[in-house]
Amino acid sequence: MAEKEPKLTAKEFSKQLTQKYYEGAKHAHEQGKYIAYTTAVSPAELFYAHDVIPIYPENHSVMMITHRMTAELSQSIERKGYTSHLCAYARSDLGFRELQKSPIGGIPDPDFLLACNAQCFTLTKWFEVLSRRYNAPLFVFDTPQFIRDKRAREEIIKYVMEQIYEMIESLETLTGKKFDFDRLREVVEYSRQASILYKTYLDMASYKPSPISIFDALINMAITVYLRGTPEAVQFYQLLVDEVMETKVKKGIGVIPNEKYRLYWENLPIWFKFRDHFKLLASYGAVILTSLYVHAWSYDFDPSDPVRTLAENYASVFSNVELEERAEMALDLFRRYSLNGNLMFLNRSCKAVSFAIHELRDIITEKTGIPALIFESDMGDPRFYSESQIRTRIEAYLETLDQLSFERERGLRE
Amino acid sequence: MNQKEILEKVQAIAQDPFPYLKGKKTEGRKILGSPLADVPSELIHAAGFLPVTILGTNRPIVKASAHLPDNACSLSRSNLELVLNYQREDFDGFVFPQVCDTTQHLSDIWKMTIPSEFFASFLIPRQVDRTSARHWFYAETQRLKSQLEGFSGSPITDDALRKSIRLYNEARTLLREIYQAKRMSPTLISNRQLFDLIRAFCFMAPEDIIPLLQTLVSDLDAEKSGEEKKRVIRISLSGIVVEPAELFGLLDELKVSVVADDLIVGSRMIDYDVPEHEDLIMALTERHFSKSPFSPIRDVGTRLYDHLLRRVEETKAEGIIYFHIKFCESQDYDLPDMKSVMRERKIPMIVLETEYQTAAKAQTKTRLEAFIESLYGEQIHG
Ligand code: SF4
Ligand code: SF4
Repeated sequence: MAEKEPKLTAKEFSKQLTQKYYEGAKHAHEQGKYIAYTTAVSPAELFYAHDVIPIYPENHSVMMITHRMTAELSQSIERKGYTSHLCAYARSDLGFRELQKSPIGGIPDPDFLLACNAQCFTLTKWFEVLSRRYNAPLFVFDTPQFIRDKRAREEIIKYVMEQIYEMIESLETLTGKKFDFDRLREVVEYSRQASILYKTYLDMASYKPSPISIFDALINMAITVYLRGTPEAVQFYQLLVDEVMETKVKKGIGVIPNEKYRLYWENLPIWFKFRDHFKLLASYGAVILTSLYVHAWSYDFDPSDPVRTLAENYASVFSNVELEERAEMALDLFRRYSLNGNLMFLNRSCKAVSFAIHELRDIITEKTGIPALIFESDMGDPRFYSESQIRTRIEAYLETLDQLSFERERGLRE
Repeated sequence: MNQKEILEKVQAIAQDPFPYLKGKKTEGRKILGSPLADVPSELIHAAGFLPVTILGTNRPIVKASAHLPDNACSLSRSNLELVLNYQREDFDGFVFPQVCDTTQHLSDIWKMTIPSEFFASFLIPRQVDRTSARHWFYAETQRLKSQLEGFSGSPITDDALRKSIRLYNEARTLLREIYQAKRMSPTLISNRQLFDLIRAFCFMAPEDIIPLLQTLVSDLDAEKSGEEKKRVIRISLSGIVVEPAELFGLLDELKVSVVADDLIVGSRMIDYDVPEHEDLIMALTERHFSKSPFSPIRDVGTRLYDHLLRRVEETKAEGIIYFHIKFCESQDYDLPDMKSVMRERKIPMIVLETEYQTAAKAQTKTRLEAFIESLYGEQIHG
């Protein structure tokens, strides 16, 4: 009987996949392959179906941020006239191009750029700068706000589908190769499976106590961002789900010992601080479980009509719907995960996700009765982060929650 | 009315359109406001409403800060303040375009904080370099048409739309003639006066402004013949909108003359007419795609810079004054490359950051003076 190979943990597998992916990208040009820069929310399936390697500058920027390089990188471009209030991803990236500093030795230059504005508009302008710099074509994949008007939605999907065909044409021109729709169907099927498993993983936060926190979700989301559309992404999420099931859920082990507050987090994380935040919150029995941000990749694809399904999924991401609908998406998480606290981060870097935060708070608070804390900072630039202030406010907020639950227990409140 | 009286009347409306708009309302005309960007006024006009471009306010910000973070651009903040706090009752509804993250969210905030009889999102394509954008603009304009018809209760007939198109084309043609006259003899009309006319065009019904412009044009023609040639520095402006309007007064004081611009409240508003076309929605679409570039909308390659360069060349402008709206992200990303293009081409350019609520600072004036002086210097030595 053959010895069983020692099984990789999900963490090891993820590391392996990431290394392989960046290695492959580094040598793409030597192997006659093309590099396309793309945005985290975008129909990257088209690239995988056409053997073009999608690279996500945002993802690279997260690495620069967590390595605390952003202030230095940003300063290098501020000297060139860019302002310090641009998105920290963009500033880190443009700074990397200036100083050639990166925790992973950089990313290759683009042959093509795709900016999908379902996520934000910043990326269009940032990629425009890159497109001029590298003299590479930029394709703006335009997704008008997915408003609730039925007629508008039908027309938007038509418009977005037409753009997918335009993009396919651009890819054919770039590579001189015919696009293969059967291959696209296959890739979308992998995306579908990965997305379902990814969502299953995120939804494990509904267990009590929760076996995962948002910080786990943030770490494990990387694979679906840059490898959805590949069989490896499916394997990875299967492994991850099984692992959490076996090691945590079945044993009733929570991610923190005395789970009392199950929190929602609005916006992207403060990347360079999230471990500290985890510890601070845990000391109060609080844990952040989820946010709409991590759910931005729980898609629901239907491979039988790949072009339509790509259009529908990418146009309707939370950052591209009207506020009421976005609030409903958040409220759904409050219900399903039994959340009882709400931290709302107003992120200087990200107008796209932050503006209208007050209105969002009003809706959520009205519907749940849960008070929310709004605080302002920056997801990537420590120069705009005030440790003591944020700490004090989070502590004060948790005390309010304590007080509330005390009153509830004693029947002083509903 | 003579030229002077007309200019005074129009300037008064440009500075405070609300008495004029109140008058229109009493006549039974409903007012539909739109923030800046590419809403087809012709269509709104043809539906029997008065389309008004919302161009912010310089009065104090009191309520908007509770709704928009402080890194929202000055234009959107002051637009929200204007309607939320000062002139809410003057608007019956809104047609709301989106061009950037700020306008997309402003639209959501607006709907929740300023309830009105009518609100239509007008989702213009944020790219203009591919055919799909044309199809989308066409579909979206038709959708707007149905919404307007729903609000007014009657269909927009081709005749009505054709008439509105003619009126807008005529007003634009007259404004272009005045601009052109100024190019020929720069001191004929001041910078402030010219741009106040364009501003008034954002607020007034075309049928009201046309007779005034007609008289102006004929008077200007008469005056032009007697005009002596003085040396004035010819300037091109660049940006989206120049606010506060006193900045134009500053340019007048410094004795420079604007001969070109790529502003949205400027040439981009008056340079392009709706072409003849049997399908009128198609005609409106054609106009949209003939327009000059607009920073937040994706256009082919470097067209934004190329267009400005061409305008500068054609009009023999000697330098560029770029107006950067505080916290306009779109401009933030354009500027460094824009500066280096102009440096390479040896075209003098100065960038001024502008903000509503803030009178032009002494520093702005000093910088502008130094810039203008350097242009005189170049002229003498170069
Ligand atoms: S953080 Fe926000 S602004 Fe920056 S790239 Fe992401 S979505 Fe866009
Ligand atoms: S394009 Fe600039 S000025 Fe216009 S709304 Fe957007 S951020 Fe403000």
